[in-house]
Amino acid sequence: MSEKNILTVGGLTKIIKEILEESFPSFSLIGEISNFKSHYSGHWYFTLKDSDAQISCTMWKGYNNYVFFKPEDGMKVIITGKLTVYPPRGSYQIDIRSMKPAGEGELQAAFERLKRKLFEEGLFDEVYKKEIPSSPKKIGVVTSIDGAAFKDIISVAQRRYPLVELVIAPAKVQGAGAAESIVNSIKQLNLHKDIEVIIVGRGGGSIEDLWAFNEEIVARAIFNSKIPIISAVGHEVDFTISDFVADLRAATPTAAMELATPDVNDIYMTIESFIDNSFETLLEKIDFANESLVNVIDSYGFRQPLDNVRRKSQQIDNAVYRIENNLERRLIDYKSSLQLLTSKIDSHNIEKTLKKGFVLVTQQNKFVLRGEKFVAGDSFRLKFFDKEIEVN
Amino acid sequence: MKKKETKKTFNENLNRLEEISRKLEEDNLDLEIAIELYEEGVELSKICIELLKSAEVKITELKTKLNNVLEISDEDI
Repeated sequence: MSEKNILTVGGLTKIIKEILEESFPSFSLIGEISNFKSHYSGHWYFTLKDSDAQISCTMWKGYNNYVFFKPEDGMKVIITGKLTVYPPRGSYQIDIRSMKPAGEGELQAAFERLKRKLFEEGLFDEVYKKEIPSSPKKIGVVTSIDGAAFKDIISVAQRRYPLVELVIAPAKVQGAGAAESIVNSIKQLNLHKDIEVIIVGRGGGSIEDLWAFNEEIVARAIFNSKIPIISAVGHEVDFTISDFVADLRAATPTAAMELATPDVNDIYMTIESFIDNSFETLLEKIDFANESLVNVIDSYGFRQPLDNVRRKSQQIDNAVYRIENNLERRLIDYKSSLQLLTSKIDSHNIEKTLKKGFVLVTQQNKFVLRGEKFVAGDSFRLKFFDKEIEVN
Repeated sequence: MKKKETKKTFNENLNRLEEISRKLEEDNLDLEIAIELYEEGVELSKICIELLKSAEVKITELKTKLNNVLEISDEDI
């Protein structure tokens, strides 16, 4: 072997690189992910393996952006890419351009794993569910600004509650970076303290289309939102992780909007019933007042003054009657006693006695009724019927 | 007067209307006060209905900052 045929390490590697890279410019491969690492730069590094072998893989940020789910160890995926050789380390690897789950079962398994994890952490607990206001002035909306979901939301607002202000934080709702975009919009809306409720959602689609709403970062952003969130991912049957963690779940964006707003017709009815009922109530009150007034006029208390007058006049009458009675009785009494006295006086009529011939003896102007009272020697008077004689 | 009323939000007006409605049901309410409340209620009803009829959904778009994840730079590819 001549010196000419001696290769350098670099030279050999260069040939290997050319052969390998030219032989495998683009291929698809099925394998199971292990040692998955998402570097802070955004690039992904992992190994694809099966029971027989393993091979290193890289997926640059510019490409992994378009993967709608987050790969995990143990997940079976189908990738497309090309083989590259990295001369400084003498290694070969797959430069991956696209990746999808090897079957729906893979996504379902990832979904179940995340659901269990978040459930165990308590992110679905009822105690964390915030109350949805009944008539919010401002509603935040996280969805695609061009999507049907937003059009539906606007039309419900116009029909049900035109007083509302919708604050849309546009978000990418499917494909690469959708989850990050939704998270970002939720955070942005949370900076506006006057937003009372947020609707996060999109119209219906395939499991891939909806996958952003099954991502952990979206679930955590919903959980951490200070403003109550209604999830509104258009699918009647299945739930997304977002539905479990949201404060309220709606099957569609339209339904979410209906849950977040009062119906203007109900408000009209409230106002109309106020006018009707209050007028009735007022009429009743006026009737009642009228009745009360009549009752007061008729009442015992109100009749008192007149009764008093009547009673007083009766009292006067009574008094007069009594006085009259009294006077009369007294008069009669006087008369009778007078008669009695008169007759007594009559019976003792001295004149009559004197007429019979008796004499009355007076000493010191007093009648001397007994001999022993007579004071001999003192002057006395003799009263006869016809005359009186002074005896000294 | 009119200016002062319109300053109140629709919800404040509606809440006040409901409050008036409740108060009017009270049995021992003075008739003068009841009439005043009723007049206020009718006025509020008019304001609310006008607000509702003239209302149009307001739409504000938040200019969200582009998330850095969305930036794709060629140097990485």
